[in-house]
Amino acid sequence: MAAKTRKAATKPRSVLIVGVGGQGVIMMSKVLALVCQRQGLQVKQSEVHGMAKRGGGVFSHIRYGETVWSPTIPKGEADVLLAMEWAEGLRWLDFLRRDGGAFIADTKRIVPPFAFRSRKYGSQPIYSPEAPREVMEMVGSGFALDATKIATELGESRAANTVLLGVLSTALEFPVEDWQEVIAQNVPAKALEANKLAFEAGRDWADANRSAPMEERLKDLPGRDDRRAAEIAPKTVQFDITGEWCKGCDICVKMCPERCLRLNDEMIVELSDPEACTGCRICEWLCPDFAIRVRRVPALEPVA
Amino acid sequence: MAVAESVDNFEINDYLRLEMMPHFLCPGCGHGIAMRALLWAVHELGIDKNKLAIVSGIGCSGRMGAYVDANTFHVTHGRPLAFATGLALARPDLEVVVITGDGDALAIGGNHLIHACRRNLRMTCLLLNNEVYGMTGGQVSPTTSENRLTTTTPAGNLEPVFDACKLAEAAGAGLVGREVTLQTPTLKDLIKEGLAYPGFAFIEVISDCTEIFGRKNDLGNSPEMILSQKKSMRPDSYGTVVDEPFRPNSLPTGVLARNDRPEYGETYRNFAKSKQGRAK
Repeated sequence: MAAKTRKAATKPRSVLIVGVGGQGVIMMSKVLALVCQRQGLQVKQSEVHGMAKRGGGVFSHIRYGETVWSPTIPKGEADVLLAMEWAEGLRWLDFLRRDGGAFIADTKRIVPPFAFRSRKYGSQPIYSPEAPREVMEMVGSGFALDATKIATELGESRAANTVLLGVLSTALEFPVEDWQEVIAQNVPAKALEANKLAFEAGRDWADANRSAPMEERLKDLPGRDDRRAAEIAPKTVQFDITGEWCKGCDICVKMCPERCLRLNDEMIVELSDPEACTGCRICEWLCPDFAIRVRRVPALEPVA
Repeated sequence: MAVAESVDNFEINDYLRLEMMPHFLCPGCGHGIAMRALLWAVHELGIDKNKLAIVSGIGCSGRMGAYVDANTFHVTHGRPLAFATGLALARPDLEVVVITGDGDALAIGGNHLIHACRRNLRMTCLLLNNEVYGMTGGQVSPTTSENRLTTTTPAGNLEPVFDACKLAEAAGAGLVGREVTLQTPTLKDLIKEGLAYPGFAFIEVISDCTEIFGRKNDLGNSPEMILSQKKSMRPDSYGTVVDEPFRPNSLPTGVLARNDRPEYGETYRNFAKSKQGRAK
């Protein structure tokens, strides 16, 4: 009877790891699950990785404790949300416990091709505009770091997930040796050294930043305006045709991906749909008669 | 965005003799695209027009020189490499580019090609391969594919094809590459590599003859012909993927061979210097 009450008293802890295909989300959750097992805890893990090949979202729920019944984390009950990619982290923010749940995120943005709704040169992708500084102010507890940059400086950008594991290890109460051993068993032999360094780098980063007040931690993170300023400067397309040189070979008309060119009655090329032109320059490159010149000039107003 | 800037800065009109334009090439001729790639490469490398020497022979490709605002040299049939050899030896400060065609370099000028490759003198040779003698009415050339119709092979060509890149590699050219005109930026990069190479760089450009060869063989109009180049190329990145059945008769493209040997001009000048004192 006493045992039963003890079980009821210890709620399982929940860690949600999210990212996009190829970043190592599954590997991270495997490491965490094995570390938990080494402590003699029950672990349940549940993942979705079907979209991984297309750079789509991957998530993995890990729940551990004396007894775990459900393998999935209810909304608002994750103790730690670990995000390998910025927008994925925001997508799962609802799952994070509002009273003291830790948000650990790589600020790296992986913008998928379909975020570019407009093919016009200089147009902005449809990607979460929330900057790390705003989100960190919102969640209250956690870290946002450029793990990919830390890993790249160590010479292996693919070890960014291990950097985040290092940060995670400081938030959980498991012995550091267990983490190191499990990581060593789960990474390719040739990447072992890089992953060891990456794990230490993550721990060092967390230790250095843990004691710092929130304002100090937010100092280096980009705000919304910084990020917008860093975007590519909007430009518009200026399309010039030297009609006297055009011989009407039709290459530009047929090769234009936007179908915005045509030959007029005199078999001279003309821009039939200026709105559709994205300034990709295929017509300019393939014109044997140098009759087309595409220039990208600074836009007077933002590109839609 | 260095690439975008270089594209923005490149005004081809700065490199053309505007009074000669428009050029005489037929509508859709791939040689014009090859010319753009060459001038683009020259622009990106920042080569001074006064230091650029273009030597061209006879044929459609030979007319290239007339339109480029640089030091140009239009010479006898098959001999641009021979003239260029003299030029490059006498003026090592010049950037010598030879523009030649399949008939010019492989038929009448075949000997000059192999000996230029053998010497490895610093210059860049662009072989614009359009599979036919276009200017003289469409006679068969050493690179005309088998069974193709030309004015001299009205029932189809029986002769096997010359692989110019293999020939150049075997003859000892320092850098050997091949690219299609469809991939203009890639072609530009290859020409850039050739221009920067300290030795004999041989680049075969797969071009189209739309009006003479394409019409006779029913290969479609200019857009169809240039698109069909995609089927006949096999980039380095394809690696060892089998050609059949996906890319029958495809040719490898990109840098095909690198044969770093002493550059002849340097060797020659050192030799001449060593003999100078003793001559008297």
